[in-house]
Amino acid sequence: MNTNGIQQQWDDFHKYVERRDVIFYYVGYFSQTIIAAMADAVKLRVEHVGGVALTRRKLFSSFIEMAQNIVHYSSDSYEKEGQAQPSMRHGAVFIALTDERYYLHCANPVKADVAEKLREKLEHLRSLTIDEIKQEYKEMLRSETPPDSKGAGLGFLTMARDASAPLEFEFSPATVDGTSMFYLRATI
Amino acid sequence: MDNLFIAASPSSPEVDFRFDERRLSLKGESYPENAAQFWGDIIAVLREFLQQDMVAAPLTMNVALAYFNSSSTKMLFALFGTLNEKAKSGADIVLNWYHDEDDDTIFEFGQELCEDFPDLSFHDQAVKSQ
Repeated sequence: MNTNGIQQQWDDFHKYVERRDVIFYYVGYFSQTIIAAMADAVKLRVEHVGGVALTRRKLFSSFIEMAQNIVHYSSDSYEKEGQAQPSMRHGAVFIALTDERYYLHCANPVKADVAEKLREKLEHLRSLTIDEIKQEYKEMLRSETPPDSKGAGLGFLTMARDASAPLEFEFSPATVDGTSMFYLRATI
Repeated sequence: MDNLFIAASPSSPEVDFRFDERRLSLKGESYPENAAQFWGDIIAVLREFLQQDMVAAPLTMNVALAYFNSSSTKMLFALFGTLNEKAKSGADIVLNWYHDEDDDTIFEFGQELCEDFPDLSFHDQAVKSQ
């Protein structure tokens, strides 16, 4: 006899997850350790749902780029009083599988100046063909790292190269302190 | 010069530079938190070795990286650039580039290396998928 509603809560939750075709979801702080653990989970999950090797590799690659972007650029960082913490920043990722296509989503808060740069970069990438993306990737690989990059300036190019459709993004309206949510979706 | 060994971690590869055997190897996955620092330190050790190395015998670099993120890609490019500089001055340097036969991304990156660093003896080594 179940009267405490636990199973019902799970059923509701699972039904929603299934309806949205979600195969992986995480919201919270991102650190390198958390990313490495999630990377394992994502690998297993995508194997389990039967992704082919090529798709699995592309999905994994985009997942890592998104997650590391959150560690580097989310405006919401975790700080304990008076303690230098390793990078921990807030964000969310989810992966949906609909009609054999994987949709990789991530979201994190960004400051207005970062939002502007992201918009510029992504709008530019969206205007390119896949051949132009590959060409730009080659050029960036051989150029000096941009000063505002904590990686190599290759992250979005890598995602755009691996995606089967242009990267899609949105920003929520900025709050009073100038922060907005940055949403990114990659189709694999 | 001392050999360099760094054990693999969940997000960084095994680095096994046996300078005494003239055999250097990289194996695993690379997406460390700070790729510039991780690879920068390795490149610094490699540079030091190459600067003082006067032996005519070939130097072999075996690379079997199953995945590397964008910032590691950039640093790897710099690492092979360093090897190429030495090869340009007459050293015999072999680069064995191992990858899964179906992994086009890693295969293509190898082709970029081959084009950009013609002084290395580049060998593409496609490995059968498991």
